[in-house]
Amino acid sequence: MARAGRRLQRLAIFAILSVAVVVMLFPFAYMLLTSFRSYDQFLAGSGFSLDSWQGLFDELPVVQQMINSAIVTGSSVALILFASTTAGYAFAKLRFPVAPLLFVGILAGMMIPVQSIIIPEFVNIANAGLINQYPGPILVYAALGIPFGTYLMTTYFRGVPTELVEASLMDGASYRQIFIGVMVPLAVPAIVTVAVLQFIQIWGDLLIGLLFLNQPDVRTITVGLATLQSARIIPVPMIMAGSILSLLPAVIVYLFFQRQLIAGLTMGMGK
Amino acid sequence: MRDAAAFEPAVAEVQPVPPRRSTGGLRRSERRAGVLFVIPAVLLYALLLALPIIQTFYYSLTRWNGIDATFIGLANYERLFSDPTFWRVVANNVILLAAIPIAILIPLAVAFLLNEHVSGWRFFRSAYFLPTAISWVVIGIVAVRFFAQRGILNSLLAALGIPVTTDMLASEWTAMVAVAITFIWSVFGTNTIIFITGMATLDRDVYEAARVDGAGGFATFRHITIPLLMRFIQFAFVLTLITGFTALFSLIFVMTTGGPGFGTTTLEFYVYQTAFAQGEFGYAAAVGVVLFVIVFGISLIQLRLLRDRSE
Repeated sequence: MARAGRRLQRLAIFAILSVAVVVMLFPFAYMLLTSFRSYDQFLAGSGFSLDSWQGLFDELPVVQQMINSAIVTGSSVALILFASTTAGYAFAKLRFPVAPLLFVGILAGMMIPVQSIIIPEFVNIANAGLINQYPGPILVYAALGIPFGTYLMTTYFRGVPTELVEASLMDGASYRQIFIGVMVPLAVPAIVTVAVLQFIQIWGDLLIGLLFLNQPDVRTITVGLATLQSARIIPVPMIMAGSILSLLPAVIVYLFFQRQLIAGLTMGMGK
Repeated sequence: MRDAAAFEPAVAEVQPVPPRRSTGGLRRSERRAGVLFVIPAVLLYALLLALPIIQTFYYSLTRWNGIDATFIGLANYERLFSDPTFWRVVANNVILLAAIPIAILIPLAVAFLLNEHVSGWRFFRSAYFLPTAISWVVIGIVAVRFFAQRGILNSLLAALGIPVTTDMLASEWTAMVAVAITFIWSVFGTNTIIFITGMATLDRDVYEAARVDGAGGFATFRHITIPLLMRFIQFAFVLTLITGFTALFSLIFVMTTGGPGFGTTTLEFYVYQTAFAQGEFGYAAAVGVVLFVIVFGISLIQLRLLRDRSE
């Protein structure tokens, strides 16, 4: 009797969780289904075709915009990884003047909302002549990623035994050699976590791209989609096809690196 | 291996050197290395985060069009606090605040059920977390289709035989509710994962003891899970709060562009509108300062709570 009740209970739990899955995955199914309809088929609610996908590639610079996204996101992530692993190593393992102050200062950067700095940032970048140039948004994204990246890398490097550094020093290795030969290989899990989190965030960002890349041919795919959508001039099935195209890289990264993504998220709890 | 052997005599030779001189030289090269290694991060941080936040504070005291700035003291703030539009915008943020308990409780309940590990729970977990990888822009694009007059919601209502036609994005308050619902949907996966992680840290024996004592599912949830998860609930709360204040720009841009009227303009969106649509950079900087103070304040409270707990 008790066992039957328990079974029923687990069945009920399964049912509730399934409903939640439908709610969470429905938008993806809707996007996919709609993208394989022409506008007329979309209005009629039946039939399938490749018209909207064809139209997407024929009428909109989506290939160029995917390339733009890859350049901007890839360079920003590379810059974040470089600056935050070097800084993390220095803060965790080296003693130098004003280190604690710098560390706290950089961490405080995590509490600055983008919108609070965006106006002077825009004017500064414009004065530097970097509007509609890739380096403009790349530098801004990199700076925004530095506080979290440095925090995560420092925390990680602190867990590496200092004896490792000292032993290599005794062997005559320089600090640079220790960094490249010992610390970076050890930190691969943390580096992947930072890379995945930043990739997803920068790939999907709108505000920075919208302001710093305002010509259609240099826009990222996310900005391209958002501007089309807000102008309400684009057929629904075509924008769904564009949405799917834009989210593919992030979903692929997600499927491969789900664990690191979760690790990065819970790292923020500062245990 | 051969390298290590070659270094052995060198180590032996170093030893007779007086320790103080040795550490002195080491300290100097360590200092130099430390400074060199932080330079890239510090430069990016100083020029592109620290400098602009200081500029925001300064320009909030000016009338500024992006080129010429005239110092006007606190006039922007006086104007801001007596501007009904500003308070309308703040009210929209308050609606988002009201959504947070829902954005916490649903994931908490689902995580509790997920923690029973019924068959397929790993798949469920992955499915819930997937939207975390998706841009707010794409989420917004689908949300527009969901809430539109000829959209999914109305089709659903019709299919269920409910004779109601909604057009939530067309009027101010309902549009804000639509944004809030989308916000709850978007943070569901993140919060569920936080709670699942938390529950994994709990001792299974506590549940067994509760079951032996005859506590039902809900009683266990209410009196054991929630109190023990307080640290995680608080973390999810602050994260959701900060997301609500600072991460909804794209969603609002795509769903409503802040309208109808100022119906869905939140503080962060108001900064953008005031600066880049109306060209009032100084006034917008004042809004940016208000946003900064709120978010910084929330973060400081969070730090304080974390410290209190660890003491």
